[in-house]
Amino acid sequence: MIVRPIEIRLPSEISVLEPLQLIIEAIGRSAEVEEDDLSLLSVAVVELAKNAMEHGNKNDPEKMVTISFNFFPNRIRFMIDDEGSWEPEKALGFKPGEGKELLLTRGRGVLIARNLAKWVEFGLTPEGKTRVTLIWPLT
Amino acid sequence: MHIKQEMKGDVLLITLFGKVIGGPELMKVKDVFLKAVDQGKKKVLLDLGKVSWMDSSGLGVIVSGHTTLSRAGGALSILNATKKIHELFIITKLITIFETYTDEQEALNSFGE
Repeated sequence: MIVRPIEIRLPSEISVLEPLQLIIEAIGRSAEVEEDDLSLLSVAVVELAKNAMEHGNKNDPEKMVTISFNFFPNRIRFMIDDEGSWEPEKALGFKPGEGKELLLTRGRGVLIARNLAKWVEFGLTPEGKTRVTLIWPLT
Repeated sequence: MHIKQEMKGDVLLITLFGKVIGGPELMKVKDVFLKAVDQGKKKVLLDLGKVSWMDSSGLGVIVSGHTTLSRAGGALSILNATKKIHELFIITKLITIFETYTDEQEALNSFGE
């Protein structure tokens, strides 16, 4: 089952995170993600959406984050696009789980998303904007 | 999110309810830790058993609380972290800096040791 991606467009505002969490869990439920894993899926996607808002869109509510998703037979693919062209390695080039950086109060989002989703990759849209692709395997 | 505070002997028990998601609500939690130190309450137990959803923003505030209390000579321990929240503590290695408990009395007793 391969269909055209479905898109959700969100302003870069913290207030959209809770609705986004509910939407992502609904998407997961429709793909028969196990009930116990739905919140882990939503945490992973929300973390990446927050990064897109902060690093890509500089928290400018006029700038949008676009989340598109496709269902495949054994996975869901999410693509999170922002309006910036930030370099993840520069913006996220620290290790929040290591040494003195263990006690940083921020910067754990990608670490968490990568561990929960198993596959998170940074790239560019055809227009040169930052895109994060997250694959959620279906069992 | 809702916050409840109660004293258990000389330990401040803070219970969080609902979703711990980014935004102004999280500042309330940070303020609770700051006020606790201002009031001389340096032993704090944070009950996460009623938290239905939490992300890295929530972890950040908990780390902030740990730093605030440690600098004041106090301590912050975690009670009733759900399986999913416990997983976040493991992924981020925060499990190495927090004492975590599933029994309230055991957690309270640990502050006296």
